[in-house]
Amino acid sequence: MSDLIVVRGLRKQFPNVLAVAGVDLTVSAGEVFGLLGPNGAGKTTTLEMIEGLTRPDAGEISIGGLNWNQNASEIRAMIGVQLQATSLYNKITPREALDLFGGYYPKRRDTDELLRLVQLEDKANAYHVTLSGGQAQRLALALALVNDPEVVFLDEPTAGLDPQGRRSLWEVVRAMKGEGRTVVLTTHYMDEAESLCDRLAILDHGSILRSGTPAELIASLGIPSVVELTFAGAAPDPRSFAARLGSGVEARGDIWEIPTTDPKTLLPRLLATIESEQVEYQQVHVRRATLEDVFLQLTGRSLRE
Amino acid sequence: MDTKSFPNPFALLWRQFKIEWRLYLRDRAAMFWTFAFPLLMLFGFGLIFRSGGPPALTLVRIAPAHETARDQAFLKALREARLNVVTLDAKQAEERWKKGETTAQIEGVGDGYRIHLNSYLLAQGQVVALAASQAFLVAQARVSGAPEPERIPMVVESPGHAHSTNYAAFLVPGLVGLNLLSTGLFAVGMVTVAYREKGKYRRLAVTPLPKWVFLGGQILQRVTSVLLQTSLLLLAAWLGFHITNQGSYLVFTLLVVFGTATFIAMGFALSSFASTVETYGAVSNLAFFPMMLLSGVYFRLDSAPQWLQKAVLILPLSPFLRALRAVYNDGASLSEHVSGLVILAAWAALSFVFAVKRFRWV
Repeated sequence: MSDLIVVRGLRKQFPNVLAVAGVDLTVSAGEVFGLLGPNGAGKTTTLEMIEGLTRPDAGEISIGGLNWNQNASEIRAMIGVQLQATSLYNKITPREALDLFGGYYPKRRDTDELLRLVQLEDKANAYHVTLSGGQAQRLALALALVNDPEVVFLDEPTAGLDPQGRRSLWEVVRAMKGEGRTVVLTTHYMDEAESLCDRLAILDHGSILRSGTPAELIASLGIPSVVELTFAGAAPDPRSFAARLGSGVEARGDIWEIPTTDPKTLLPRLLATIESEQVEYQQVHVRRATLEDVFLQLTGRSLRE
Repeated sequence: MDTKSFPNPFALLWRQFKIEWRLYLRDRAAMFWTFAFPLLMLFGFGLIFRSGGPPALTLVRIAPAHETARDQAFLKALREARLNVVTLDAKQAEERWKKGETTAQIEGVGDGYRIHLNSYLLAQGQVVALAASQAFLVAQARVSGAPEPERIPMVVESPGHAHSTNYAAFLVPGLVGLNLLSTGLFAVGMVTVAYREKGKYRRLAVTPLPKWVFLGGQILQRVTSVLLQTSLLLLAAWLGFHITNQGSYLVFTLLVVFGTATFIAMGFALSSFASTVETYGAVSNLAFFPMMLLSGVYFRLDSAPQWLQKAVLILPLSPFLRALRAVYNDGASLSEHVSGLVILAAWAALSFVFAVKRFRWV
């Protein structure tokens, strides 16, 4: 696959914070690429520089071989953007908004087809102010597709959606990929990143910590499994227990996490230590390592902290 | 990539103009302030002050114990002087006086009369007292059979000798000016701040729509809206009060367009000084209220101190209204108002420079 988006040395300094501190990334044509990181990691600023909304202090951005200094209109014609909060006229209807925005582009998709895609046929003639949060979000998504774009940028597309809304948005993203579009999205949900993205970059404090496919990132941990002990209240200090067990134990909230490459040999040892130390836990649970564990290992913090 | 070319920007401008109008018509608040409010003001104030002169002045008269022939002649003369005479007994008169509702009160004292004036309403009271003195002379002459004192004839007309005095005629250009001012400060300035604050411009910025096309559509809508509202006001003044433009319609229209451009530029300029709608509310009211109250929209500042009357001429609405009234009420040419137009042009230039230099999309 060819590299559709190439970003080199991207930097952005805001008055009080270095929002993006030298980001390099490449996105191949036809893939779903995710920027994963906690709030304030620089995901949105990175995305908005690539979208041409924010001017970088340094760095190069190329989209389909074009750059913002010379081919701004051409790039705008080939990209579709869903901002974190899309504001429109209060009293415009979805149909009017799609017709209006579609008219800005050399190429446009049929309004009825878009309304059907985001399931807004019933609300086609309702004023924008009367739409629910999820409906407004779906209209924003339809607007991002109005020009039949090659590349779609989605900034926190599922923020504020209920579980059902998130699932149906995931289906729309998968459909975009099926149509051969390239999708770049930001998220702070690891399950979303894991299930939607072909490749990911993990961002924190304006830098990419690691990138790769979700499977590669998890494999890079070298610890495929995590044993979790859940307590009724706050988890007790695990230090003496860890010493007896001979494995690392992390206390997080009401959980002890014990990463392991070999749960089969750890479990009997663990149960024996629990008995001798008289640990009063509620349940024990073995799970696969996730992107959350990758982030924890890279930063020492949880994604949602 | 698709080889279809980008849409023609002028076709887009027409589309933006149409959608701006369509959405403007859906905005009930905008509709009220732009179209209904000026007409309500014209008919409301125009009808209240229809008689032309000031509203009738009231004189409280304490009923004499025995009405003499002179008392009756005096009462007749007072009414002829267009005073609204209210006759009360001493107790009722005192109650009314204490409530502060009495401007002037007359009672018989010995052989003659005495007038009490309310110190809070002295200016009106003095007019009443003068009219009453005149009426007294008339009444005395009638009672004694002497010839009546001669009155100096009065002619009431506007500064340019064109109109008979009519408050509605004064009000029409004032309301036109107020509409331009609020269009610039609110329909342009406040809308710009709101669009920026809510991120509407950011959404447009990721499309290939040229920014000038968006602003152009918005400005064209506002200008046509102002022209439509002005036409409605002129029509209402003609139908309701038989007032017509005494000057050239071309000059009148040019003035309105010039004023609209000035106040729209001022709205854009002011919008750059606020990042939230709340702050803009404070900034714009600082500009709006002094002009609405002091620049002669509803009344002239004749009784204000000289320095204030001179100072408000600096505000752009004052010279605009002077020039507009000269054309509309007196059929004057603009050559007599060059200095005012220079002030207006200076505001237009200043606002335009600020609007262009400081305009922010995000």
